[in-house]
Amino acid sequence: MTSPMPQQPQNTSQPSHTTEPTDVPQQAHAPHDPQAPAATPAPYEETRIERAVGRLFGRATGRALAPYQTAVIRIGFSATWLLFLLREWPHRLTLYGPDSPWSLDMARRLLDANHAFSMLLWSDGRGWFECVYLMAVASSAALLLGWRTRTMSVLFMLGVISLQNRSVFIGDGGDNVIHLMSMYLVLTRCGQVWSLDARRAKRARTAAEASAAEVSAAGGEASEQAQTAVRTPGAGRGRDLTGIVLWAVLGLALAVAQLTGSYALLWFDNGPFPHIGWSLVLWGLWVAHGLWWAVQRYAPGEPRTVLDTLTKLAHNGALLVIMVEVCLVYSTAGWYKIQGSRWQDGTAVYYPMHLDYFSPWPALSQLLGSNGLMVMLITYGTVIVQVAFPFTLFNRRLKNVLLVIMICEHLSIAFLLGLPFFSLAMIAADAVFLPTNFLTWLSTRVSGLRERLFPRTLAAGPDGGPGGGEPPARTEHGGGGHTLVG
Amino acid sequence: MRPRRYGSPAELTAWIYGNGAGMQSYGDEPRPLAALSLPSRIVIGVAACAVAVIVAIHLAMMFLHVAPQNTLSKQQGALISDYVYPEYEQNWKLFAPNPLQQNVAVQVRAEVRAEDGNGRTTGWTDLTARDGRAILHNPLPSHTEQNQLRRGWELFLNSHNAQGRPIGTRGELAERYIRRIVMFRMQGEWTAGGGRVERIQVRSRTAAVSPPPWSTEKISDKPVYRVQPWWQVTTADLPEGANSQ
Repeated sequence: MTSPMPQQPQNTSQPSHTTEPTDVPQQAHAPHDPQAPAATPAPYEETRIERAVGRLFGRATGRALAPYQTAVIRIGFSATWLLFLLREWPHRLTLYGPDSPWSLDMARRLLDANHAFSMLLWSDGRGWFECVYLMAVASSAALLLGWRTRTMSVLFMLGVISLQNRSVFIGDGGDNVIHLMSMYLVLTRCGQVWSLDARRAKRARTAAEASAAEVSAAGGEASEQAQTAVRTPGAGRGRDLTGIVLWAVLGLALAVAQLTGSYALLWFDNGPFPHIGWSLVLWGLWVAHGLWWAVQRYAPGEPRTVLDTLTKLAHNGALLVIMVEVCLVYSTAGWYKIQGSRWQDGTAVYYPMHLDYFSPWPALSQLLGSNGLMVMLITYGTVIVQVAFPFTLFNRRLKNVLLVIMICEHLSIAFLLGLPFFSLAMIAADAVFLPTNFLTWLSTRVSGLRERLFPRTLAAGPDGGPGGGEPPARTEHGGGGHTLVG
Repeated sequence: MRPRRYGSPAELTAWIYGNGAGMQSYGDEPRPLAALSLPSRIVIGVAACAVAVIVAIHLAMMFLHVAPQNTLSKQQGALISDYVYPEYEQNWKLFAPNPLQQNVAVQVRAEVRAEDGNGRTTGWTDLTARDGRAILHNPLPSHTEQNQLRRGWELFLNSHNAQGRPIGTRGELAERYIRRIVMFRMQGEWTAGGGRVERIQVRSRTAAVSPPPWSTEKISDKPVYRVQPWWQVTTADLPEGANSQ
């Protein structure tokens, strides 16, 4: 009941839920709407398809869906990569640096052929390598905390693909998931909640609302003006010096890399999409960030709404890609398993546990592998869950049960097969399907725990939550933030 | 768990466009899209169509890349791999169709020329067993122990034909990769008493995982050795900084 956002695909099974947002585009185009420019005298009956398209359009442009789920995958993937980088800190030179058996020359020869991106090819020096590695660590930490999320997601992606493409042959499935998701996260607004960005925005808003309340208390007539001041994005936000510095420094760095003719910085070739090079992508993102700031500050009316809608579209598109990607992982994993004789005779799970590379706890593996019935049940269960998962998305309860099973299975893989980072990455991917109710509940519990562990003064109380993002369910329940203040 | 119903139109609008007190860190104005000017609405409409098309193409490509070979992916193979490689490459055959049922160990030995000109051949060293010892009782195995040699050897096998000849650049690189992994790990040990490594030899020892205790399957427990020819070691195979020797 705390889920006003139709972010889960399983919501499609709840007609009462999905029909609600549809009213908006219809309403918006309704002939009696005075603002509709093409007002026709006779009421126009929309066909079902038109209504469906309108509904879809309204959903895709209405808001950045699934704020909690995108936040949780942001945290999940950045934490996995951060922990991995820290764990490999003693081995970093062997894995990705000058001491790697996969030498930089060999990497160059391979990447010259397949055109993968890596900043590590820009210079041979150890100093540059350390810079990139540290940048990867720092950007993961910042993305985890949600500090300058949009910028950090770009740096996070650059760190991930630079390191991984430098030494492709030491990665595994977990690295592969992080590689893909780091690129998709760039296009999502993954810092809407549980982030320092959200906390900063909320503080700015509270400050603006407080001043507005003061004004409205002074004179009734001024109150309307004050309310618009609250809505004006520049109000209470300042000119954002940190953002400007960050933007300028990164632009300068990119310009230097571009002008020195660094590897892979091409405009129309060898990029992430056909005929879109990495230069175009990176400069495009840089310009977009600058434009967003300028529009926020100087053109808060229509231009801002347009840009905002475009980013929502990108967010929702990327979110859909992420969700389908997770389904693809499971369905193809299941699809191939079904073809295997060991998965059919119910012994498949026994074998990985007895491989030297995947048995950190041989005694435990032996013990689990000694029960034939158990091995068969787990083997069949794995196939069933993987094949079924995409279809259970249409049933909320079933999906949640499967999520729990899959997360448990990944936890045991983490321990039994000695694949902690792979499992963490997969759990993070699963998390995009966690129900909002659960996530807001978790948020409340974590805030409560934090309040108990580190009691705060009353003044800092209201925005003292972790990352400051108040679940919308709670704020809306209170009748909206401004009524509390007003 | 009933979805909340929206009482007033204002509430609904606030929900759709953000009410300023919600979670949108960038703030939203209660400005319905229909109230925008025509150019703005055209921009948004075109963008929505573009996003829909891009998402559809991207997902179709991802699907065709991860799905088994089929009519369409055979026809459009070049187009799909152009799109997918290098950044969207992925493989989700996790322990599938069948999990690996063999332990493959990589073992190495060397011919060391001492300073007085005498040559000697070392005994075999099992590098995989060393990886295994590093992984044993380790909750956080490093990629250097779990993946480097394992995947390096996979690459080597995949890029060599049945006669052991390298296939293309990849095969050549893979061979050098194995030589370098061996030298990085063993050089110090082999040349501890002086001298220098002239040639190395690599072999793989493949042993089937014995079938489960309840199974009646009979599988030969005799390991199979695959011995590579002796490889000359060049300075390019040595860790940087070791060239001065």
